[in-house]
Amino acid sequence: MRLEATNRLKGLIKGYYDELFAVAEEGRPSAWLNVGMPCEIFYAMDIFPFYPENYGAACGAMKLTPKLSAVAEARGFSADLCSYVRATLGSVFSGEGPYGALPHPTIQVDSMNSCTMIMIWWRAVEREWGVPTFLLDTPLVRETSDGINLVYVETEVRRMVAWAEEKTGRSLDLDRLRQVVALSNEGKALWAEVLDLRRAHPCPITAADIFTHMFPMVALRGTPQYVEHLRALRDEVKQRVDDGFAAVPGERYRLLWDNLPPWFDLRLFDDLAARGANFVIDTYTQAWGPRYMGPVDLEHPLRSFAAYMGAGFLNVQIGKRYALLAELVDAYDVDGVVFHSDRSCKPFSLVEVELRRLLQKRKGIPGLILEGDHNDPNLFDRERGMGQLESFLELLDAREQVPG
Amino acid sequence: MRSSLGDGVLAAPSAEAGARALERLRRVAADPRAELRRIKERTGLMAVGYFDTYLPPELIAAHGVLPFRVPTNGHDDTRAMEYIQGFACPASRNVLDQALRGDLDMLDGALFTRYCDSLRGVFAVWDSEKLTPYVDFVRYPTVTHTQAAVDYLAEELQEVSWRMAGALGAPIDEHRLREAIDAGNRARALLAEFARQRAARELAVPGADALAVLIAFTTMLPDEFTQALAALMAQPPAGEPGDAVPVVLSGVTFDNIDLARTFEDTGLYLIADDLSTGSRLYTVQVGDGDPWQALARAYLTKPPCSVKEPSAARADHLLAQVGASGAAGVVFYLTRFCDTEQVEWPFLRDRLAAEGIPVVLIEGEHRAAGLEQVRTRLEAFREQLEALAEVDDGEGQDGGSE
Repeated sequence: MRLEATNRLKGLIKGYYDELFAVAEEGRPSAWLNVGMPCEIFYAMDIFPFYPENYGAACGAMKLTPKLSAVAEARGFSADLCSYVRATLGSVFSGEGPYGALPHPTIQVDSMNSCTMIMIWWRAVEREWGVPTFLLDTPLVRETSDGINLVYVETEVRRMVAWAEEKTGRSLDLDRLRQVVALSNEGKALWAEVLDLRRAHPCPITAADIFTHMFPMVALRGTPQYVEHLRALRDEVKQRVDDGFAAVPGERYRLLWDNLPPWFDLRLFDDLAARGANFVIDTYTQAWGPRYMGPVDLEHPLRSFAAYMGAGFLNVQIGKRYALLAELVDAYDVDGVVFHSDRSCKPFSLVEVELRRLLQKRKGIPGLILEGDHNDPNLFDRERGMGQLESFLELLDAREQVPG
Repeated sequence: MRSSLGDGVLAAPSAEAGARALERLRRVAADPRAELRRIKERTGLMAVGYFDTYLPPELIAAHGVLPFRVPTNGHDDTRAMEYIQGFACPASRNVLDQALRGDLDMLDGALFTRYCDSLRGVFAVWDSEKLTPYVDFVRYPTVTHTQAAVDYLAEELQEVSWRMAGALGAPIDEHRLREAIDAGNRARALLAEFARQRAARELAVPGADALAVLIAFTTMLPDEFTQALAALMAQPPAGEPGDAVPVVLSGVTFDNIDLARTFEDTGLYLIADDLSTGSRLYTVQVGDGDPWQALARAYLTKPPCSVKEPSAARADHLLAQVGASGAAGVVFYLTRFCDTEQVEWPFLRDRLAAEGIPVVLIEGEHRAAGLEQVRTRLEAFREQLEALAEVDDGEGQDGGSE
């Protein structure tokens, strides 16, 4: 049973895209950002933030990736590139997409705290549209961002703000930023509660429910509607827990999903639910959770942004990735892990084979490497994938039957 | 074979010293790992491997440790595939494979930077499996044009240096750091001169041998390399490019000499390069003053790879290589699954087209096997370049008669 909050998402998304087009029509500034870039700063500057990764996911969900990708490929962009990139560039080149031709942004800002792909994606758009573009440097760290790294990233954040002010004529008022950040912190605390509520037996929601809510977490943080939506979501999930509601009736397998989901096939989770399997937790949504994106310090908001950007989920390496998995496995009472080997996300995926080995060896938790893609259905062999997943569930059954 | 730059021609009696030097460089490049073992045995020094050319080898040498850029070896990577997915770039998979097979067991350590997303995946496995006794990661800026990035990298190199000193029991010696910088500068300056002479047709050395020189550069002791290269340049073996068509080889890393030879067997002459291990590296000259600042500035501001920002100078650099060498075209070697080069390709293609420079795209996995299709494409490209040259000649003659 879908959440009521999920049904309300449509209105939020529509409002957001209406605003995107209104901003362009009225000549107000807008910025294309990557998900590692805090929208709060831009809301505070009255620069409308737009997230092409989010848009890419929308292209995927509406099954437009193959068509848009073909446009990019015809221009010489490899079919091996990230499917978000292919879909978005296809949209940029053709003017087609789920919402029609996208308006040109005033500026683009990207950061290095997720993948190298982001930089070259923004670069390609810069070359096509001539949009002024700023790369905010966040050197890849092992586990923490402190010392010289924190100083450097804060310098970068301040350099970016000065650049955006110059390009858009909008200045950053710190008091206004604090108001936005306060709302953002409130919403993030509610998100943390929702993630925590998934620990319940049975789990109150499915993976599809939580992945669907990534839109407000990415694009609306710091707005009143964001807090309102997150509160409604939290209340509904909490009510389910209080009622002992099982999102997957007869919940039999408690699984962990690693990586982005296949946006074009969230039904995969429903099909597994029919076998009693629920993904009670995942790693992707943790990137917006308290472990990686805690409350921003109202006294020193820019330093606080720098701190979490420098040690963002994909800007740390295998030690921290393993520690998170191990913690989640215990906290959510996980039976097994499905590692979605996402062809389009190397930083997320290329450590998974090793993580699987470590998890099995150190904690005895089995894992499955499931080959697929977050946005391109042509890179996911569903029949084969379902077969692998069913075999994995059988493996979990067999383990359960072994005494001891 | 159409090129007349083959081995037999080069071994002319009048250039014995040069021929011997070339043979030495070829031997090193044919098996760099064996050469490193020999150097280790001879010097008793430890060795630390690195993988991308943004990492200053001077950092390692300053500790009295041998820096060794791990080149790809063209072999299959079945062991690596047990640890990392097939959509990691083949060059990254290959170096991981070498380590897993024990081919790099002479390394006492390894230093990684965030060069690309595939290499960071290799670092994860390397670090987790402790494939060398010492392994460390250099936090590296992607932005290359700010003073803050230079300051950051200068400090980071020192932090890595302190850790390396502790881990290997090899303290830093500031005097040795300056010596390493000077030796590196000498070697790179000579390489740049070598490239200039080749481009100017003052020195007829096949592209496959020039590639061997590049590999030897990141393998040998700097002064020994400089001596060998100087000997080669002083008494170059006789040779003529004949009717081979000069082209620039563009890409990232390129260590497969057999592959380069295959390219040249089609009648092309790799007269210059735009490679991360070639002209984008040997143009580095580390300046005076604080050595850490100087190292950081020199390596950050070299002609950029597509993994850095800003990157527009890459296209300018490529065009400069074409201009300086009078190359008739460009062979763009695209490493499969190399994201940044995949996005760079349409841009470079269009820039070259705007300048009227023909380019052919060859996508590959750094192996010399199964190249029939590649050979056919390159032969067709050579014919295209020859036809264009004939048209140009014809137009030139027409113009002259008026």
